[in-house]
Amino acid sequence: MTTLLITHPACLKHLTPLGHPERPDRLRAIERALEDERFQHLLRVEAPSANFDAIALCHPMRYITALRDESPKEGLVRLDADTSMSPGSFEAALRAAGGGIHAVDEVMSGRASNAFVAVRPPGHHTETARPMGFCLFNNAAIAARHAQQRHGAERVALVDFDVHHGNGSQDIFWSDKSVMYCSTHQMPLYPGTGAANERGEHNTVVNAPLSPGDGGAQFRTAMETVILPRLRDFRPDLIVISAGFDAHQRDPLANLNLLEADFQWATLKLMEVANETARGRVVSLLEGGYDLEGLAKSVAAHVGALMQG
Amino acid sequence: MAEDPNTDVPRLTFERAIEELESIVKRLEEGKVPLEESVLIYERGEALKRRCEELLRQAEARVEKITLDAAGKASGTEPLDVNKT
Repeated sequence: MTTLLITHPACLKHLTPLGHPERPDRLRAIERALEDERFQHLLRVEAPSANFDAIALCHPMRYITALRDESPKEGLVRLDADTSMSPGSFEAALRAAGGGIHAVDEVMSGRASNAFVAVRPPGHHTETARPMGFCLFNNAAIAARHAQQRHGAERVALVDFDVHHGNGSQDIFWSDKSVMYCSTHQMPLYPGTGAANERGEHNTVVNAPLSPGDGGAQFRTAMETVILPRLRDFRPDLIVISAGFDAHQRDPLANLNLLEADFQWATLKLMEVANETARGRVVSLLEGGYDLEGLAKSVAAHVGALMQG
Repeated sequence: MAEDPNTDVPRLTFERAIEELESIVKRLEEGKVPLEESVLIYERGEALKRRCEELLRQAEARVEKITLDAAGKASGTEPLDVNKT
């Protein structure tokens, strides 16, 4: 079976201020890494634009139109201390959400076994109606809801190993017992949420915070003792991964010490659960990862693992 | 590599360091720190914590332990050896 790689050149046109870590070169580094011969069997497709109704599964229509109307004709407009829009940002955001939706369509229909969606801007900090932390639409959350609405998935698990807690995804699914949100992340760190006692209205939020300086051993323990058992009990019909690679030891925005092999290991473990309960269905979307070398190597390890599915 | 932004920390007084550390902890807990600055602020907090600990150790080392005689009266002082406690 096939692993899909979904991306779009429009995602390079979301520009951020000079020196900003969430920059177009991140996608270029990933693209170069996936040009290697061992990735020749990836099925590469361009991300379609999401339509507003699909995005409205997670965000109010007035939020979507407000972002569209904020788009500058030139230069940058700042939405918060970290987050800005350039003239190309709105289309990039539509493609980023659309990439996740297309991945779900292909994986849920059985045309692909799994997918990696290499897009930006990232999504997991965007709450229901608030852009923040480099994020405009919550791409992974939209993908999860789309799988439910369009493909009848009853239970979807969203697993987030970005080094920052996905406050947006937690917010969106806080009272939704049909979506389990699981996260490993560094604490203390931005955005400040993600304590283990934040469990959601129906105990379907699973936070496993890690301490600064923790590495692969602590990460694997958190996955094996906290997250994977809860996932197995939940029996998801699809696993969506918020795949941030900023827990890598080279990353400048955090203090964890994961290596490529840890991302590969986590990917294979999540695929094991997907094989048990979800016919192997995994859709992974890029979130953070700001050291270009660490990002490229980690994505290669992650996608290499997906291709074993 | 960018210049280390925490080179001033080893010269801070205890009061100044603890005040800034408290403000950093508060900001991190309230989630009011921008993503891009979050790690820098955390690292400054670590540097401030080390500075406070160092100053506390120095202060402790200067405390002289009061020794008591058999009747329980203060009979003199001896330096507190912080490494043995």
